Amino acid sequence: MFVARSIAADHKDLIHDVSFDFHGRRMATCSSDQSVKVWDKSENGDWHCTASWKTHSGSVWRVTWAHPEFGQVLASCSFDRTAAVWEEIVGESNDKLRGQSHWVKRTTLVDSRTSVTDVKFAPKHMGLMLATCSADGIVRIYEAPDVMNLSQWSLQHEISCKLSCSCISWNPSSSRAHSPMIAVGSDDSSPNAMAKVQIFEYNENTRKYVKAETLMTVTDPVHDIAFAPNLGRSFHILAVATKDVRIFTLKPVRKELTSSGGPTKFDIHIVAQFDNHNSQVWRVSWNITGTVLASSGDDGCVRLWKANYMDNWKCTGILKGNGSPVNGNSQPGNSNPSLGSNIPNLQNSLNGSSISRKHS
Amino acid sequence: MEKMSRVTTALGGSVLTGRTMHCHLDAPANAISVCRDAAQVVVAGRSIFKVYAIEEEQFVEKLNLRVGRKPSLNLSCADVVWHQMDENLLATAATNGVVVTWNLGRPSRNKQDQLFTEHKRTVNKVSFHPTEAHMLLSGSQDGFMKCFDLRRKDSVSTFSGQSESVRDVQFSVRDYFTFASTFENGNVQLWDIRRPDRCEKMFTAHNGPVFCCDWHPEDRGWLATGGRDKMVKVWDVTTPRAREVHCVQTIASVARVKWRPECRHHLATCSMMVDHNIYVWDVRRPFVPAAMFEEHRDVTTGIAWRHPHDPSFLLSGSKDSTLCQHLFRDASQPVERANPEGLCYGLFGDLAFAAKESLVTTELGRKPYAGDRRHPIFFKRKLDPAEPFAGLASSALSIFETETSGSGISWFVDTAQRYALAGRPLAELCDHNAKVARELGRNQVAQTWTMLRIIYCSPGLVPSTNLNHSVGRGSSCGLQLMSSFNLKEMAPGLGNETWLDRSKGDTRSDTVLLDSSATLITNEDNEETEGSDVPADYLLGDVEGDEEELYLLDPEHTHTDEPEYVLPQEAFPLRHEIVDTPPGPEHLQDKADSPHVSGNEADTASLAPVDSFSLISVSHALYDNRLPPDFFSTLVRDMLHFYAEQGDVQMAVSVLIVLGERVRKDIDEQAQEHWYTSYIDLLQRFRLWNVSNQVVKLSTSRAISCLNQASTSLHVNCSHCKRPMSGRGWVCGRCHRCASMCAVCHHVVKGLFVWCQGCSHGGHLQHIMKWLEGSSHCPAGCGHLCEYS
Repeated sequence: MFVARSIAADHKDLIHDVSFDFHGRRMATCSSDQSVKVWDKSENGDWHCTASWKTHSGSVWRVTWAHPEFGQVLASCSFDRTAAVWEEIVGESNDKLRGQSHWVKRTTLVDSRTSVTDVKFAPKHMGLMLATCSADGIVRIYEAPDVMNLSQWSLQHEISCKLSCSCISWNPSSSRAHSPMIAVGSDDSSPNAMAKVQIFEYNENTRKYVKAETLMTVTDPVHDIAFAPNLGRSFHILAVATKDVRIFTLKPVRKELTSSGGPTKFDIHIVAQFDNHNSQVWRVSWNITGTVLASSGDDGCVRLWKANYMDNWKCTGILKGNGSPVNGNSQPGNSNPSLGSNIPNLQNSLNGSSISRKHS
Repeated sequence: MEKMSRVTTALGGSVLTGRTMHCHLDAPANAISVCRDAAQVVVAGRSIFKVYAIEEEQFVEKLNLRVGRKPSLNLSCADVVWHQMDENLLATAATNGVVVTWNLGRPSRNKQDQLFTEHKRTVNKVSFHPTEAHMLLSGSQDGFMKCFDLRRKDSVSTFSGQSESVRDVQFSVRDYFTFASTFENGNVQLWDIRRPDRCEKMFTAHNGPVFCCDWHPEDRGWLATGGRDKMVKVWDVTTPRAREVHCVQTIASVARVKWRPECRHHLATCSMMVDHNIYVWDVRRPFVPAAMFEEHRDVTTGIAWRHPHDPSFLLSGSKDSTLCQHLFRDASQPVERANPEGLCYGLFGDLAFAAKESLVTTELGRKPYAGDRRHPIFFKRKLDPAEPFAGLASSALSIFETETSGSGISWFVDTAQRYALAGRPLAELCDHNAKVARELGRNQVAQTWTMLRIIYCSPGLVPSTNLNHSVGRGSSCGLQLMSSFNLKEMAPGLGNETWLDRSKGDTRSDTVLLDSSATLITNEDNEETEGSDVPADYLLGDVEGDEEELYLLDPEHTHTDEPEYVLPQEAFPLRHEIVDTPPGPEHLQDKADSPHVSGNEADTASLAPVDSFSLISVSHALYDNRLPPDFFSTLVRDMLHFYAEQGDVQMAVSVLIVLGERVRKDIDEQAQEHWYTSYIDLLQRFRLWNVSNQVVKLSTSRAISCLNQASTSLHVNCSHCKRPMSGRGWVCGRCHRCASMCAVCHHVVKGLFVWCQGCSHGGHLQHIMKWLEGSSHCPAGCGHLCEYS
């Protein structure tokens, strides 16, 4: 099923984030070496680095693409306490002849006094908006009032989370029935057991973000959080990477039942919890339809999770980071007997099919 | 050298203990310095000059050196240094240019010893010779460095940097005669103390001021410098030209740099503004600090390792008026908290995964990473082979691609492109779409289409393949089909939409109402799936009379109805194409075509009449009297919701469009809009612009269909007079000629017209593209080098 293609990223320190663009043809990587690289997929499927530049003066934690309607725009955030917005410049230049594109910084967001740990563009229907979160526990929401002018961003909201924030995720739903919503995860490792995932919702009346929910069951440091693409669902699916992988569903309780004006109440259920990584889970990412979740953990593996029609989430694949097959596929504590049957497929395809290419 | 080692032994005996602690000062500190016994620290600032004893649990103020009534500028200290050989000897640099020495051994309250008023401006730095008792060096804003012999009243020698202000001066630890000085213009100079006429060596170390420098305590040739350019650089100055060995990138301008004792590659830095933290870096990992102290609330102004041979205690003074002792083991380690992995799901089901190499490396002979690199030799050079270093990290980036055949999300693209949404009679649309779905191996979807067709159209038109497909499974009416496919589809491995039967409950509640005598037709099918726990009465029992009978009924009707239904519809495909597109008229037209139905129409017009008549023809007697007219719309609505909740918004929207008015009013307007926007967004992701546009066009939701009407103005210039066209058609108002002539074929362009914004000439897209393959000049011959993006 899967073929591993390894890419010589040539980053000089750890890569902290990888991000595909809206159309899946471009990829951005960011690293502690303070640079961001942009990769373009050629016709034959190879990835070529078309830009690499120093973006910050500290580790770059996250990089993310804006909707292409706003141009070829990236945002990055860094240990150096800033987030930055970058735009690709089109035009004839020497760079282009060498197959390199040119990115210019449009703005630097300097409001944080501590490391900016995540940056995410809001769903397109909200306009050109950007949320950042920082280690001092503040989520900031910026807006570019004029989408043609990427150098003007105004700070619209500051949400205090009381806990050092590590990750944010916008609810991607485009439904008018769903108010803008943002989930925030904290990696605060202090011993006091506070809930580490908070969900804030925009209130039309007060024009402020107010806390809608707190996932009380998540008390361990959270490293990543991701709403699934909504695609017309009436409810939301949220994946949380903490010491295990957790999947929550949030069903809005009907508005008529709640007092109008207040935040939406949600019926929250944990639908899956997997400790198969046997260690910290660092990243979660949804496929385009929100039906398959990929998670990666300290074990160096990517695991794929999918629900069957009974809403039973199961592992449907394990991918080893370097493309080598995984040994010992069924792990203790795994409640899924059918797991084993899916994996040989995967292993066979991974065996010896790892392709190593250099970019030119 | 000998003296140095003696000092070491003398100090080596003591064992340091302590904890992370801080004490409040009365005023902001500018600099601190530690006594050689590691038990006392002096803090100096504009309005503070005190000696503190470092005790196990706390700092204790021992001495206030700021005495006298009237505050003297001489006491406004920019720097302070404690002699490393004499516990009683201190020197301060004052902001008014005075260098003061202090003798703590003096019996009087005023410990001031000597006053040198030779500098004209602020003295930035003072430095004692590490082994010579009486030698003091100062560096000032006025650009001069002076060497004082404490036994004399005046300076022994003056060194002129011949450049801007001196920011730091430091005697070399190892070379008796050498000292380094740093300047605001970015230069570093190395001097021989015996030769004041000119420096031995000079090199540009930083872009902008060099604020600080520190000699490596062990390595003779290493000098660390820090500058406003946020960098710390380590230089090997033994070579004729100073060579940059390491370069550390910090997040703010570097105010102080101090090598960590006993750790060859570690150094501590603090910043001049913005950043209040102290960082300890391993110079071999130049981007991520090894440790971070976050205690201070304002800029850290002075840092000092407590003991020259103990790597665990760091002292610091700050503008926030505190003095801190940091324990290295209490430091936060950004490296540990940094996320070692990146993961992103791609559009086509591919996964990009970057992970720290050590996490993904299997023990069994993973190739050294140099093999992956473009310049292995270059990278190898940087690794110090004598000292294996675990901290240096790199990530492996790989992309897991789904193999092109079959899997992945290609079904989505195929489906989107091949589905027919309008322009044909409903029955044909359903059949076509069912066929598409089946060919892509999506049986559940295929069955749904077939059933929709059965529900809404005369069964006489169901091709035998479709019928067999459904009937062969033992279902004889649309309702059962629907119930059965929900379950059946769940067989593992069926691929892309084996998700969850979320709406099963809903469906059941509807169907249970109608349940009378359950006939379990599809149970066998269910058993292979995991859904065998579904109760037996799940299937609709309202189909009285058994399947055989119904099956037999079908061909009968087919025969009778065929001439009436099939012929007219196939005879006038074009007519349908035109009339069908708007959902409203299509509906009426559809029925007008079928005389059989038209009789019914009057009484059911308001209620989506088509809902029932399909089955009526199958088993007219069975349904006509029993089922409410909107019976199916409930089911269809649930079915649409089911697909939407499953993540298959494509199906929901496609059905919505195909059925048009038949189901539209049964579904919440907002939900419809939500589906449309989601689906359009998805189509745009896959660059299926035409499909997306078609969906927008066919959508029944007002909010969606207006998407196509935004920013549709086209601005063109006349190709003759180059004036902007004024929106009065294609004839230029100025020169009265037709503006949209193709420059290649000289015909009027209808359709895709492309024109150069430079010269206003253009023409048919194909013609221009073809022309530009051969020439880059304008085809009109105007000589313009046309550009099209």
